[in-house]
Amino acid sequence: MGSSADPAEILAVRGLSAGYGSRAVVSGIDLSLHRGDILGLLGANGSGKSTLLRAITGQIRPLGGEVAIDGADLAGAPERAKSSFGLAMDPSDLPAALSGRQYLQLVASIRGCAESDWPGVNVAERLGLKRWIERLIGEYSLGTRAKIAIAAALLGAPPLLILDESLNGLDPLAAFEMKRIILALASSGRHAVIISTHVMEAVPGLCNRALLLAEGRIAQEWDARQLADASHAPGDFELHVMRALWEPMSWQRR
Amino acid sequence: MRHDRLVLTLLWRELLAGLRSMRCRDLAWIVAGGGALLAYAIADIVVALQAGATTLRQVQPLWTFGLPGTLFGLGGFAGNALASLCLSRAFAPFLRALPLSLRERRRMAAVAACTLGVPIASIVATAVGLGCFVIVKPLAPVWGFGAAILFGGGFCVAAVLRLRSARDLVHTDTADLAGNPGRRQPWLGAFDRSKPTWLSSWAWGLPAGHVRPSWRLVGTASFFGVAAALSAAISLVRHDAVPAAMAGVTGGHLVFMLSARFHPLGSPVLRTAPLGFARAWLRLARLPLQLSVAYFLLPAGAALAAEPSAWAMPLASGTWLLALNGAYAVFAAYFMTAPFVAALSFLSAIAYTSYESLEYGRAVLIGFAALVLFLWNRAQRRYRLG
Repeated sequence: MGSSADPAEILAVRGLSAGYGSRAVVSGIDLSLHRGDILGLLGANGSGKSTLLRAITGQIRPLGGEVAIDGADLAGAPERAKSSFGLAMDPSDLPAALSGRQYLQLVASIRGCAESDWPGVNVAERLGLKRWIERLIGEYSLGTRAKIAIAAALLGAPPLLILDESLNGLDPLAAFEMKRIILALASSGRHAVIISTHVMEAVPGLCNRALLLAEGRIAQEWDARQLADASHAPGDFELHVMRALWEPMSWQRR
Repeated sequence: MRHDRLVLTLLWRELLAGLRSMRCRDLAWIVAGGGALLAYAIADIVVALQAGATTLRQVQPLWTFGLPGTLFGLGGFAGNALASLCLSRAFAPFLRALPLSLRERRRMAAVAACTLGVPIASIVATAVGLGCFVIVKPLAPVWGFGAAILFGGGFCVAAVLRLRSARDLVHTDTADLAGNPGRRQPWLGAFDRSKPTWLSSWAWGLPAGHVRPSWRLVGTASFFGVAAALSAAISLVRHDAVPAAMAGVTGGHLVFMLSARFHPLGSPVLRTAPLGFARAWLRLARLPLQLSVAYFLLPAGAALAAEPSAWAMPLASGTWLLALNGAYAVFAAYFMTAPFVAALSFLSAIAYTSYESLEYGRAVLIGFAALVLFLWNRAQRRYRLG
């Protein structure tokens, strides 16, 4: 998988099945992501978004299929594959006893970069983290935890940034700044971003691709043109997604 | 009251969820392997009891003080552990918002602890009764009943003390963590800067790397200090290296067991980072190992000074200390979120290995080494694959 990899392809997922124990939550997932892509991952609660991201980031063992990140096979060379993505942690997984700065130092020391080595911008400053950085993460609100998780995920400028519902808890200013950062990363042509979200209206304006999961399978995909077509008026894209989910098992016949 | 069985229900659900999350193959291994090992251990104990029946029946101190004291102590130990477990569930984060008073939460924990304690006391009573039956001790059922009373007594005393000492964790927990780290407190920064930085502070739950002095910490440090000084003094007075060397190994290993924490190995922060299991494990073992070696040096130095010709003894003690610490670090990495279970499993494995090695010689050590390698492999697989 690694030897014949397309250099622009940052994520290659082939026939992935993953779940907990022997029960598959997602199955038959094929996905290819290139530098410059911003993928919106949509789906109802329990549709398998987080399970898919856990399998891609090596947190659960795939039941079948392969994952390669920046040409490195996740099963064969996990450390090399993991050095190519930054995952914004779930707020509950952050080490509550450390201060924000210590957490950034911890992640930076693992990635072998400086604690302020962000791609192009000072993320802590842009997200309004400065006044919280010396305080314990245990004291942070949900939104501030999301900010420090995003700031840590961007350390070392990894080619693939993965945000699992991380934008949901941000205040409007931080959410706006984060969108600008994501767009700047993608337009640089060196990074790709996966955003798992329930805020469907944010997808057409931010992402150039979208993918809808239902019952653990890809129910529908949109490319940049289809996304533009599906969002001429406010609420259009949301209607598209709802139609895809409501039409009885329409996606299974595809 | 209607909430009384809530903690018990929570624990039961957790057990079921844990069993369901395990793969059938792993479960079969645990049931078949554990069952076979248990059957072998029971058979072995029965044979040993029968062999020493006459002696055991005649040792009066055993029946007057030894067995009753052990049963009472065991009950106290179990009572404290179970009460702590039940209290932690009664004050679980998702129950904090419920309008339950401190008294109601204590009652929920007490009901659960008592319900769990009854079958354990029955097992202890059956074991003692059967043991007395095997060695043909008169009134074996009475001994079994007495064992249940003694175990239950210790259990109740410890559980009540633990439940009474429970503060209102709903209001104090976050305040404890949020305590101002800017105050002048001993700082671990100088020792915790090697890569990955701040890993030990995280593992020990030290707010921003600051050590919070407490009576428990001071008491433990004083105990270990006095033990080291006493053993060193005994060795120097008697010109005998053994007491100090033994104290060095035992104390050094206890320091390691008390300070080793490996729960970050289960966190996505490390598991999704480009950091191998061995590197993370070594880094988490580093500071506890430094503490352990620092403790070992005083008694070992005294042993060498007391009997310079027996220089091999402190050297061998140091090697044993490293081997024991390494083995325990593997157990602690496997049971990463339950250091108490890790310590209990390790001590049980060591005790069983020592006992069997009396019969089968050093070959049993190979079995222990195989167990350590197996646990290492499982911990590594879980770190890598979930």
